[in-house]
Amino acid sequence: MTKKREKIDTKPLKFLTAVSSEKYSKPTLTFGSLIASVFDASMGVAYVGKKASEFHGSSVNLTRQNLTDWNIIHPGLEVLQWALKELKKLNPENEALAKIQFNPDHVYEEDGRIRVFMPDVEGKKIELVLREGELVGELRKEMQLEKYDLAIIGGSQNKRNLAHSLIQYLPGSIFVLQKFNPRKKYKLLLLVDDSTATAKSVEWGALIAEKLGWPVRTLTVSKTSRFGAGYQGAADMAKAYFDSRGIDVEQFFLTGDPVRTFVEFAGDNHIVIMGASTLNPLKQFLFGSKPIQTLKQTDVPILIVR
Amino acid sequence: MHISTNTLFWIQQKRWLLVAFALGGILYLFVPAPEGLSDAGYHILIIILMTLILILKEPIPLPAIALQLLFWQVIIGGSTPNEVGAYFMNDAVFFIMGSLMLAVAIISQGLDKRLALGIIRLTGNRTWRIAAGFTAISALLSSFVGPHMVTAMMLPVALTLIRFTNKKGKADTNLVAALLFSIAYGATIGSIGTPSGGGRNVIMLNYWAEFGSGTMSYLEWMKMVYPMVLIEIPITILIILKTFPPELKILDTAVRKLSVNVARAGKISRKEIFSMLLFLGILTSWITLSERYGIGTIALMGVFLFIAFDLVSWEDIRQNVNWGVILLFGATISIGVQMKNTGGAAWLAEGSVNLLSGIIPNIDALRAVVSVGLSGVFSNLLSSSATVAVVGPIVLNLGGDPILLGLASVISSAFGYFTAVAAPACTIIYSSGLVRAPDFLRAGWKMAIMSIGSLLLLALLWWPLFK
Repeated sequence: MTKKREKIDTKPLKFLTAVSSEKYSKPTLTFGSLIASVFDASMGVAYVGKKASEFHGSSVNLTRQNLTDWNIIHPGLEVLQWALKELKKLNPENEALAKIQFNPDHVYEEDGRIRVFMPDVEGKKIELVLREGELVGELRKEMQLEKYDLAIIGGSQNKRNLAHSLIQYLPGSIFVLQKFNPRKKYKLLLLVDDSTATAKSVEWGALIAEKLGWPVRTLTVSKTSRFGAGYQGAADMAKAYFDSRGIDVEQFFLTGDPVRTFVEFAGDNHIVIMGASTLNPLKQFLFGSKPIQTLKQTDVPILIVR
Repeated sequence: MHISTNTLFWIQQKRWLLVAFALGGILYLFVPAPEGLSDAGYHILIIILMTLILILKEPIPLPAIALQLLFWQVIIGGSTPNEVGAYFMNDAVFFIMGSLMLAVAIISQGLDKRLALGIIRLTGNRTWRIAAGFTAISALLSSFVGPHMVTAMMLPVALTLIRFTNKKGKADTNLVAALLFSIAYGATIGSIGTPSGGGRNVIMLNYWAEFGSGTMSYLEWMKMVYPMVLIEIPITILIILKTFPPELKILDTAVRKLSVNVARAGKISRKEIFSMLLFLGILTSWITLSERYGIGTIALMGVFLFIAFDLVSWEDIRQNVNWGVILLFGATISIGVQMKNTGGAAWLAEGSVNLLSGIIPNIDALRAVVSVGLSGVFSNLLSSSATVAVVGPIVLNLGGDPILLGLASVISSAFGYFTAVAAPACTIIYSSGLVRAPDFLRAGWKMAIMSIGSLLLLALLWWPLFK
């Protein structure tokens, strides 16, 4: 545990928040900014728009080129412009961020995406990126290219279809903010089992709880009434870790179907944190996994740590 | 078995490529050619089936789809590499290439600002007159230069008006739709008016010549089709204004601001005058010389002159032309010719006629229905040029008058009003993010009925006068 904590503290983290519009993405951006400040992480904001049919790609590009001459910005850039304005509002103490101006002329295409040139803010980068295409594929490319550790996305109505692809293909951790209400008082619910990702999810959960002062519960679910050494050991380790950081934690041990129990226990007032599955990718693809099923069935925000 | 996430992701992304090739493989290896169809024709139809799946689902970029069309023709289609190559480049492909390059050359002159001023002077500040002006100008211009160029020039004018109309960031959504659809539908209905109005028109001219069906000059085409454009313009205006009635009836402030904005461009420069003269020269050559030199060759000559007189840089053209699409049209036309040569087109035509003969006993009406139906349906799924490239050889094998059936097919391939993918003008306004997919349906069905009605009028009352 101590070794892992050192790793988190020393490696600069990079978080990517996906936004879709001013109307729907405010809670996602607000939470993304909050979480980035908790982890002292660099932050990227990505807008993934629809891609024009390739048949007429050159006509669309030509039109966009012409629109630029008329000072009309590329669709989607206005969402990024709004995101920057919102980030400034959310971080009023950050003077360096306040000085950054959104300039549609400082936009350039590279690696199949459009980037807005942004100066570093106190050594950390804020990236504003526009991509066009299918959501999961484009987020995956962005995460791989910029080596993001976490993607934060809003819960869409299409969640059940996307859950599988998001968890299976995004190369880092994922925070899906389903029905997230910034004004609501949430408790952190940490799902603890013998998976190798549990240790990291405990560390991330502790950091969030410490910085935001949110109450923490851990839940260990066994299919039978007997909790094996692996489950018991993981629960003990989590408790010890929280204790070592002076965070109060309530522990729960329940018996039943893991996913159903997670979902019922989470209700609507928890933010769930769980480790990613360690099943091999083909088995996950064919049969799903606990994180995939949990994301599909629950309606609360869920952080899947990889 | 261990499969990495990267491999799984590749499979997920390329699943339609795998489905297309698997289906093609099964048909090729295990299913014999249907009765009445030669093996070569059957294999060409298999390639077309695989290509249609790939175009519809786009698991790989369009240029790659073009490449597989070429190599399959040699590997399983029974063609020699030189045969495929010979059909790959022709005047229709020259025209598509030239028209995309000309669009870059003309738009880079900034003539759209002059156009905006001209339209506003003509229409005044009443919303319905502006929408009507947009529709009429888009239709008339697009009939000569193609819808992609017109929409690229007109969209900034409309968006600037919309921006100046917004109050506290909120736009009148009906006004937005009315202005944008005026441009898109105007440009689309206009694109059938002359051969240079769209790549599909030149593809059909090329097929007529290739299949020995006859020829048609630029002016003859206009004589046959232009009345339909003129009929459609006022009805289109009516449909748009009824479907999207704007709340704002007068756009005085927006028009004034637009005029001020455009006036900043200053007096018309010599370069702009020369560009306009050059373009008029190209247009005149299309009308008078295209039968002799080919419409595509003239387009390329125009591009050459724009470059030679430093009116546009090659760099600009290179960056703004989608070369992959040119590759795809070349490849699609080559498979279209092979479909005809191997008897695949005739088999499909005969099959369609036999299938529907019980429902429509009149053979002329049946041919017209097959021609219009196939083109209309395909054009809402593919692009109109790809539709004509694939459907053209079938239509020309239906029997009857190939010129009239070909014209009907070309005209109905412009009926891609229902989706954002069918017509370039629709894709462009959709890419602005200001109109939604359901908006295309709301107005599209009315446009389709109006267009079919106009085509019927043309076919029954106008075309017989030229027999």
